[in-house]
Amino acid sequence: MLMTETTEKNQIAVNVEGLSKKFGETVVLEDINFHVKEGETIVLLGASGSGKTTILRIIAGLETPDSGRVILHSKDVTNLPARERGVGVIFQSYALFPKMNVEHNIGYGLRLRGKAKADIKEIVNGLIELTGLEEHRKKSPSQLSGGQQQRVAIARSLAYNPEVLLFDEPFGALDAQIRTRLRREIRALLREIKVPSIFITHDQEEALELGDRIAVLNQGRLEQIGTPFDVYNKPATEYVATFLGAANLLLGIINDGKFEAEDIFLQIDADAKVRDGQSVKLVFRPEDVFLRKPENLTQNYQLLTDGFVEEVNFVGAFERVVVRLNISTRQPIIVTRPKTETTAFPLEIGQKVSVGLVRFRILPNYTLASERASRVV
Amino acid sequence: MNENVRHTRGFDLIKPLSITTLLIVMLPLVLLPLASIFIFGTSSGLASFWRALTAPEAIFALQLSIVTSFWATVFNVFFGLFAAYVLSKYNFWGRNALIVTISLPTAIPTAVAGFALLLLWGPYGILGRYLEPYGVHIMFTAAAIILANIFVTFPLAFGVIKPVFDTMNQSLEEASATMGATRWQTFWHVTLPSLRGAILSGALLTFARSVGEFGSTILVSGNLAGRTQTAPLYIFAKFNEGQVEAANAIAIVLALFSFVIFSVLFFARDWLEAE
Repeated sequence: MLMTETTEKNQIAVNVEGLSKKFGETVVLEDINFHVKEGETIVLLGASGSGKTTILRIIAGLETPDSGRVILHSKDVTNLPARERGVGVIFQSYALFPKMNVEHNIGYGLRLRGKAKADIKEIVNGLIELTGLEEHRKKSPSQLSGGQQQRVAIARSLAYNPEVLLFDEPFGALDAQIRTRLRREIRALLREIKVPSIFITHDQEEALELGDRIAVLNQGRLEQIGTPFDVYNKPATEYVATFLGAANLLLGIINDGKFEAEDIFLQIDADAKVRDGQSVKLVFRPEDVFLRKPENLTQNYQLLTDGFVEEVNFVGAFERVVVRLNISTRQPIIVTRPKTETTAFPLEIGQKVSVGLVRFRILPNYTLASERASRVV
Repeated sequence: MNENVRHTRGFDLIKPLSITTLLIVMLPLVLLPLASIFIFGTSSGLASFWRALTAPEAIFALQLSIVTSFWATVFNVFFGLFAAYVLSKYNFWGRNALIVTISLPTAIPTAVAGFALLLLWGPYGILGRYLEPYGVHIMFTAAAIILANIFVTFPLAFGVIKPVFDTMNQSLEEASATMGATRWQTFWHVTLPSLRGAILSGALLTFARSVGEFGSTILVSGNLAGRTQTAPLYIFAKFNEGQVEAANAIAIVLALFSFVIFSVLFFARDWLEAE
């Protein structure tokens, strides 16, 4: 059967099933399940201690899980040592061999596999060209910048056609400007070579930019996995909502198909998985809030309530505003406004505004621990 | 410390005073004793010095010192490397006790070390008595000198190599493993090249120390001229016989030897320590 491009793209390259791991009494991973398709980039996003590094190390064969399986291109590698898995790992420190120059570092995996010298030379030259390292081929790692070292690390892993590329917080050691530029370069490179990749990071902006899909981890559990758009705009849990970008939260209940809190009534989607009488949280992003004088609120938004402007901060590309809502708790919310908004409708401290929402999410009102319990029940 | 920081308003006396004090203390304790070897050794003229240096027993003593020190160094560097690898890599019950034990010879007086070896390998020793009927004699031979040198210099190469292992980036070995290398391949291609400086430092320290060993060697070798007499023992024997010039000639060679080794260790330290 001829493999169509679509079929190829949909093939599962990496399958992680039921991974669990404890270090002593501490549960580090709990029943982790996800897959990576051919040519896809998945980002494991989470805070320190969320278990993302442990997942990476288990896939690479540098740690053994207590239970679960790792399957690479239909082969169960769970019990194989690292050297037999054929993965490529780009470590946070890059781990370039200090006594080898760039060429020798890149060719190391090929020499281990007993490739002919001529073949090694051809492959190494090709990778040096692909990663733009021509001027640096004879240099030792200590003579390279962080970005150059990273490219050598990638080229070194690509040399032996890895099953999957694993990136361990690859931009952590770089300053912000270089980080942004390299992210885009790496993204373009990965699109070109179509090798399935897994990144781990704690940086949500990095996750949104790099990943075809993002898996959000929290204390060893997978909170949500989805496209950047879905994870950002349709967070499945409060943790995802607050970890990935800023989020405002408002407690209320569901009454007759609407969100209700004091004098606030919002029509919710018909497919929202909540029932009447249920305690819920209204989650909305600062950029999904529109502020107007009460008489100017148009029909494109749903009115939340009124409030008054408490703080206005200019932060470059946008304005951050703190608004005290006109409810009994006087809860403050964060609103971000683009330049077009700030020019058309400038705000002053103390000004009364109507708060409209263009997009929001309704989540069941569990505490974080019982959120997990709710998924089990 | 930044030397350029001003600590006083006028001329800072502390710097020249400190340096002068240092030199004054070192003068009678280190500098003058060293200088006296060279001054006395050449006081009768270079011809006399050369005759003393090229006496058959003197040449034999120097050769024996170099050969026995060489083999002790080879053993201790290999074993030190192996021990450093095992003790850095693996955690096991008794690990710390082993590390302390390896370092013990530094604290033991060398005469005690020689005495202990005699008690073990001597003709009536704990193990030596079983070898004696087969004509195997370890004590009072070059082998005994090598054993004594191994014991006394045991911690030196290990002590220089282990810290490098301890501070080595674990990611290097992990990267090598994920790229398909066996443990041996990783050790040979990745770990060992990073240790070259430490191995050379350890080897030089071990060799220099072995060449100068006296306390244990005098007990285990029997100090037999032309057979088991090393350079330090030759100096001692000639001095006791009143042949000061003969003793002095070898003393100059040993002093120069040590000077060259430690100069290499000092001036090449950047290369030796570079990763």
